[in-house]
Amino acid sequence: MAQLVTRRTLLQGAVAGLAVGGLAGCGAPPLTLPESAARGEPALGGTMRIARPAASAAETLDPASSLSAYEYLGALYNRLVKLDIKGNTIPDLAAEWSTNSDATQWVFKLRAGVSFHNGQPFTARDVRYTILHILDPDTASPQAETLLTMIGPNRVDAVDDQTVRFRLKTPNAEFPSLLTAYQCYIIPQGSAATIGSTGIGTGPFRLDSYRPAGAGSVVVNEDYFDGRPVLDRIEFFAIQDTSARVNSLLSSQVDLLSQTNMDDATARVVIGSRGTTVARVPDAQWYTIPMLATSKEFKDPTVRRAMKLCYDSETLLQTAIQGTGSGGWDNPVPPTMAARAPGQRPYDPDRARALLKRAGKDGLQVAIYTSAYEPNLTPIAIAYAEQARKAGIDLKITSVSADSYYTSVWMSKPLMVSYWYTGRPVDQLLNQVFRSGSSYNESAWSNKRFDQVLDSARADTNETSRRAKYQDAQQIIVDDGADMTPIFGDRIVGLSDRVVNYDEYGFEFDYLNIGLKAQSQ
Amino acid sequence: MIYVVRRLLASIITLFLASFFVFFAVQALPGDVAQQLLGQNATPEAVETLREKLGLNQGIWTRYFDWLGSAVRGDLGTSLVSGEPVSTTLWTAFTHTLLIAIPAMIIGIAISVLLGVWAAARRGRRADNTISVLSLITMSIPEFVVATVLIIVFAIAIPIFPAVVLQGPSASFSDLFPAMWLPIATLVFSMVAYIIRSTRSSTIDGLTTEYATTAELKGVKRRVVLLRHVLPTAMLPVLPVISINVAWLLGGVVVTETVFNYPGVGKLMIDSVSTRDLPVLQAIALLSACVYVLVNLAADLLALLLDPRQRTSGRASKRQRPDPALEAKTSEASG
Repeated sequence: MAQLVTRRTLLQGAVAGLAVGGLAGCGAPPLTLPESAARGEPALGGTMRIARPAASAAETLDPASSLSAYEYLGALYNRLVKLDIKGNTIPDLAAEWSTNSDATQWVFKLRAGVSFHNGQPFTARDVRYTILHILDPDTASPQAETLLTMIGPNRVDAVDDQTVRFRLKTPNAEFPSLLTAYQCYIIPQGSAATIGSTGIGTGPFRLDSYRPAGAGSVVVNEDYFDGRPVLDRIEFFAIQDTSARVNSLLSSQVDLLSQTNMDDATARVVIGSRGTTVARVPDAQWYTIPMLATSKEFKDPTVRRAMKLCYDSETLLQTAIQGTGSGGWDNPVPPTMAARAPGQRPYDPDRARALLKRAGKDGLQVAIYTSAYEPNLTPIAIAYAEQARKAGIDLKITSVSADSYYTSVWMSKPLMVSYWYTGRPVDQLLNQVFRSGSSYNESAWSNKRFDQVLDSARADTNETSRRAKYQDAQQIIVDDGADMTPIFGDRIVGLSDRVVNYDEYGFEFDYLNIGLKAQSQ
Repeated sequence: MIYVVRRLLASIITLFLASFFVFFAVQALPGDVAQQLLGQNATPEAVETLREKLGLNQGIWTRYFDWLGSAVRGDLGTSLVSGEPVSTTLWTAFTHTLLIAIPAMIIGIAISVLLGVWAAARRGRRADNTISVLSLITMSIPEFVVATVLIIVFAIAIPIFPAVVLQGPSASFSDLFPAMWLPIATLVFSMVAYIIRSTRSSTIDGLTTEYATTAELKGVKRRVVLLRHVLPTAMLPVLPVISINVAWLLGGVVVTETVFNYPGVGKLMIDSVSTRDLPVLQAIALLSACVYVLVNLAADLLALLLDPRQRTSGRASKRQRPDPALEAKTSEASG
């Protein structure tokens, strides 16, 4: 028997030792992550291999769909406008845009001389066609609801080849930012039925092969209007299981793992292994703790206020994700964005306790739901519950199956931990997740004054005072809102140490500059 | 002959019952198909439209008999997710699973019978002890650990084999060929222990029978005694163990296929569970019920070939009353 134990221990030791490579035997030193992805001069050309989780066996290249194959989109298509890393709207296929005095009419001037991959020239009619495709109820596009509040099918005009005009139902000075959504990539006129498999766009790469939930590849578009991309070719492989995806990187079968936020232990293994490293996408994961505002526990704003005051975002950041991110302080706008309101709410557990007493909820007991759906949800739930206990709040951590987390817990249990990807422009973020009645309003919170502030911000054509209004709206969320933002987490991305200039923001890879270092021989 | 017919009838009834349980168990899965299909971003209206379109609002019994009727005719329906015929998808996955299951089966059975007999022949000596301890160890290490260790050693540290299959369901034979060896090794590793142990113990039983002792005393070589007289009888109790392992291999090995991203039936099952692709899921369950029934049937028929007593027992009772002493002996030997 003793022999058996030694053999097994030996084996386990061997596994651990091999896995962490250089780190073997050091216990667990604090992890030092590279601040950003490696920069440098890539070798021109080359093939990059990316492993990704497939949306489902029904995934499609139609950007408007809710099951679009995200990694392909930015390589194949362009939008009218896109977001820069600070959240500002910048040109993509539109060269410039302007509005009338009350922001009810928007005119976009398009780039001239751009063609689709099939040679067809890009014109205003393609833009009109794309927008109508998104608005079409049969497409069931996630961006339709946002756009339909402002435009209908008869409010988009192709004025001439190079000019598109939108006539809005209500004023919106932030309208262009709503076209930066990754459902708004431009497809050629008449292509709705086939775009899901042809992937014909104007982007830096053309589709070479594609199979839903399988392998596919794109090759360089030599005629790309914004210059030739560095790479010759990108291959995409669908690997559903996270650890299988990490293994494909460790065994050098792929160069980059997309949509894979690695936990601390995995990041250590990847850093410690030969040929692989990690990069951070700052504040890419927006974690939330929605309190259902319609539940008997949280319908009272005083209780919600106490739930916020009782915890310290910085401490939670350190405890839950080892500081790899930023404190949220219940403001949903990420610190990387220029539009975030300055200042932070106080941390005051004593006051939280007093507020609860006043609300008659002394020693509040409630279950906080979490799941293995994303690796950081449970650490966040635990860290939050730990702090809440100091204010006399008793949170029972309840972990449920990842399979049904978003169908049976999200928007139906009073308290849970959830997350979104950041990258929404501020107007869309606030309207989509916080406005009364929006289908993404995960806390079912409704505040008339908040909705009014958003409306008046949209109608305000002065950039400075508009920004101030969006910041007022953020303050209302911090004070009264039901959806807490404990932290923003950096996405820890695993990649080969040959990859340079990896960037990902505003729901898009920087496919133009990403490349591979020359193979050292 | 009557026995074979009765056995076949029982198989059909088993399959029918299996189809019943499969269908209703799948219905009881948590989560909503329409919601899963449209993704987290879907609007409630879209979900309701899809529910209507899929007939999810119809009665459960209507749906069961519709499904069973077409399944009998070979039509397993269309995948809710990919829209392709389930039979095509399942057949592709099944051929991929066969590609690792058959070699694993052959290698696994050969190795384990060999080691089992060897251990029995060397009972109590070092070879026996080593084999016994090793098989105990392999029995207690879960598949995913074996798979992970194999990947770390043979794909990462010494990169001989690929760690995962990259191409997915469209992978060709030349894509799968280099990637199939680690899964095969994993499967062999996780099945051998059970077969070794049962082969060993039934061979030891066989070696102590009177006919084996008699043969040995008459001067027949020990090896001949072992192979000609003991082994055929000793294999009888091992057959069910082998058949369970074979059925497990053919029904799709979820863990192994997931770790290696291997596009077989097991991975298809996991993906279909996560997307609530009920037609695919039901077809897989039905397939694995068929595999279990067929493999067990084959094992029983093989036992019939190996064991003359089972063939004649029906007639024997009519001709003469069996000697009670002999009866006791027989049941002891086979039990």
